Amino acid sequence: MRRTGSGHAALAALALVLVAMPAWASIEFYQTADRTEVGTEDIFQLTVVVVDPPDTAQVQFPAPQDFEVLSSSQSTQRSIEMSGGGPPVIQTVRKHVLMMRANRPGTLTIPPAVLTAGGRTWRTEPVKMTVRRGHVEPPRSQAGRQPPPDPFRNFPAPFGGRQDPFADEEEEAPDRRQDDVRIPRGDSDLFLRATVDKKQVYVGEQVTLSLYIYSRVDLSSVDAVTMPKLEGFWSEDVESPTQLSGEQRIVNGIPYRTYLLRRRALFPVKSGTLSVTAAEADITTGFLFAGHRVHRVSNALDVEVKPLPPGGPRGMPSAHVGEWALSLEVSQTQVELGQPVTVKVVLEGAGNVKNVTPPRLEAPAALKVYDPTTSDKVVPNKWRIQGSRVQEYLVMPQRTGTVTLPALEFPYFDPKTGRYEVARTEPVELTVEPGAGGVASAPVPASPTHVADAASEQKNVLTANGLRPLRYQARFEEPAAAVWQRPFFVPALLSPLGLMLALGVVGLVRGRISNPDETSRNRQRAKAARKRLAEAEKLREGSSSAFYGEVEKAVLNFLEARLHAPVGGLTHAALDAKLAEAGVDANRRMRVRFVLESCDAGRFAPGAEAAARESILDDAAAVMEGWDK
Amino acid sequence: MSAITAILVATLLGQAYYSPEEAQLLFQQANESFLKQDYASARDGYEKLLSRGFGGPDIHYNLGTTYLSEGDLGRAVLAFERSRRAGGEGPDLEANLSMARARQLDKVVGAAPEESFHERVVTATSGNLVAWLFLGTWLGGFAFLFLFRVLRPGSRIWAVVVAGLLLTASLPSGALLAAHVWVHETRHDAVVIAPTLRAREFPKEEAKVSFEVHPGLKVRVMEETGRYVRIRLPNGLEGWAEREGVAEI
Repeated sequence: MRRTGSGHAALAALALVLVAMPAWASIEFYQTADRTEVGTEDIFQLTVVVVDPPDTAQVQFPAPQDFEVLSSSQSTQRSIEMSGGGPPVIQTVRKHVLMMRANRPGTLTIPPAVLTAGGRTWRTEPVKMTVRRGHVEPPRSQAGRQPPPDPFRNFPAPFGGRQDPFADEEEEAPDRRQDDVRIPRGDSDLFLRATVDKKQVYVGEQVTLSLYIYSRVDLSSVDAVTMPKLEGFWSEDVESPTQLSGEQRIVNGIPYRTYLLRRRALFPVKSGTLSVTAAEADITTGFLFAGHRVHRVSNALDVEVKPLPPGGPRGMPSAHVGEWALSLEVSQTQVELGQPVTVKVVLEGAGNVKNVTPPRLEAPAALKVYDPTTSDKVVPNKWRIQGSRVQEYLVMPQRTGTVTLPALEFPYFDPKTGRYEVARTEPVELTVEPGAGGVASAPVPASPTHVADAASEQKNVLTANGLRPLRYQARFEEPAAAVWQRPFFVPALLSPLGLMLALGVVGLVRGRISNPDETSRNRQRAKAARKRLAEAEKLREGSSSAFYGEVEKAVLNFLEARLHAPVGGLTHAALDAKLAEAGVDANRRMRVRFVLESCDAGRFAPGAEAAARESILDDAAAVMEGWDK
Repeated sequence: MSAITAILVATLLGQAYYSPEEAQLLFQQANESFLKQDYASARDGYEKLLSRGFGGPDIHYNLGTTYLSEGDLGRAVLAFERSRRAGGEGPDLEANLSMARARQLDKVVGAAPEESFHERVVTATSGNLVAWLFLGTWLGGFAFLFLFRVLRPGSRIWAVVVAGLLLTASLPSGALLAAHVWVHETRHDAVVIAPTLRAREFPKEEAKVSFEVHPGLKVRVMEETGRYVRIRLPNGLEGWAEREGVAEI
């Protein structure tokens, strides 16, 4: 190979050309701002450019009172331009990038930057800025254009590595924007920032709250962290680092090192605008004895919580939001009477795992179901709470036969689809067989309490719960009245009294009958005497003694009844005297005497004629008449 | 077969009078309807029997069980109470009545006011038994009095002693019977059957509502005026409620 020239000679010639060039022949010095209209909350970039500065050039940056310089950086570019035949042109461009923020609203002016070199001074043009209060969106032309040159783009790692720790978070939450992080005024070197991955969610839908330290100083330790009050949220811890682990992040062009303090999953339990109050932390900066402790307060956040849309199942808890699957696991489907069966109701998916309520196992009366034990398994995946909640029931068959565990349903709201869904299980059939197997041989593990309870169980227990059956034999009855309302009662009650009354009346009558007065007695006697006289009349044709004896007895009986005294043994004279004493008139007395004497004569002188007998009867009748007048 | 049965039942339901055999058939058909969970047909059958005079504790019990299966607590308790009053006591009646009461919405809190002595005695005794006891001692006493009169002197003193004992015993039983009659005529137990029965301070529509009661609660009707009755709860709480809201046992 043949050599074409000397390389050393060419380099020497280039050096001579460079030394011969004038030092500030073509100095350019200017400053530009990336936007001319900003808000007091916005950070803008001021770039001061010096083209071909002398080696001794000194740049004095503007230090206006109306602006705060958050950071500054410098970069230098050198380029060599080879033109045809001429010497190469070497150009050096030095850029100073200042991140600034206005202190007040108004029309403000960034004063010129000053370049001093070799006794000469260059000044840039001042930059006029229109500053408004708060935050001003960059104009579309500015927002769409390329960002200003990054002074650190040529820096090696770590600045050149991953810049945003929320990179994957933004994949899941596209609504998240980088300008969520605002640098607080006065604490720009070290501040706390709380962020949520979603600003608008449904009730029960997960929101992830992250609490970061943004720092541009060295941290020694975080002594205390006070998490915000989370009223209206059910919260679950997702991540709580025990050691500070920093990552680089560029915020508005300013490099920060971020440290995650806490990450929590929040599940709103009510609708409306819910507030996440500010978190606080005590942070020690610096190393060893040079460090000092500072207190930082984060920003507060608002989360807009939408109520679940209408059309959902009535009474569905607000925690039933997410993506869920329901399953039923039975330890065995064929079991001997007296052996327990373990039934697991498994609800797994993404959502508020610890707050969901799986559907209760409703078993028929032939199965005794003990209270379940609940176990949760939470596995956060990409900051989403997911896992499973298992309710384990111990079921004791009470009767032999085939028993069906009914299907279960778990209604929930899926925020991704915006619709209500239902997770279901299929019915499970259990065959309970008679057998000698006891609880001790139960193949499934059971808690001691359950085993003790199960051991005391009788086999084929027919529980007393439930409706008693109908009566299949009816005894028809009229509507029954009380005994005292029945028709017989009052008459029966009064019957003794009536009977007594009747007997009294009868007794009275009988008494009257058995004790006649004197008048009636005399009348009866007189009547008997007349009756006797009538008997004597029948003896007219008979013997004289019998006839006259009967007539005499009739007359005497009549007189006894009238005189109230016996007259049987009296002589006629004595009888006449007694009659006279009784007030009988003489004529009647004479007739009585005549009849008695005629009877004596007739008895003792038989043969009297029939006409005489007839006459004596008439006389006797005449004696008995006329006494009551 | 089922069509024939249906026609037969429809014919029976339309009849004004039933023979005992027809009543028994209708009873069995109502039971069959209950088994098929056709509670409305079962209820119709039992109520037809009752309206035709074929009552009794068993019909009331079955009717109450049907109402309970339908979830009508008020009428279920009413039928069970009527069955009990008709002498249908039994473990099945007590169990179903307890179940119905367990489902009641109202919980009456507070001790019941002290009942009067005679009310407690009446509650503790059977009116029919007392009536029979009084009638027996009364008639027996007089019977022995008559016997005393009939028997010869010297061998009849025992009759008058027995008569005296029986008539003496008839006095307290008579007093007890009088208490039963008084309570029967003045005390009226009822059951709330309206879904919600408002008890007011006065028997007027615009009067303030004191409390509300619900089906199945047993109350006592104290008096009535217009379309209102004054009800008393077991704890003594009182108010005026619409008459249609309660049914007397």
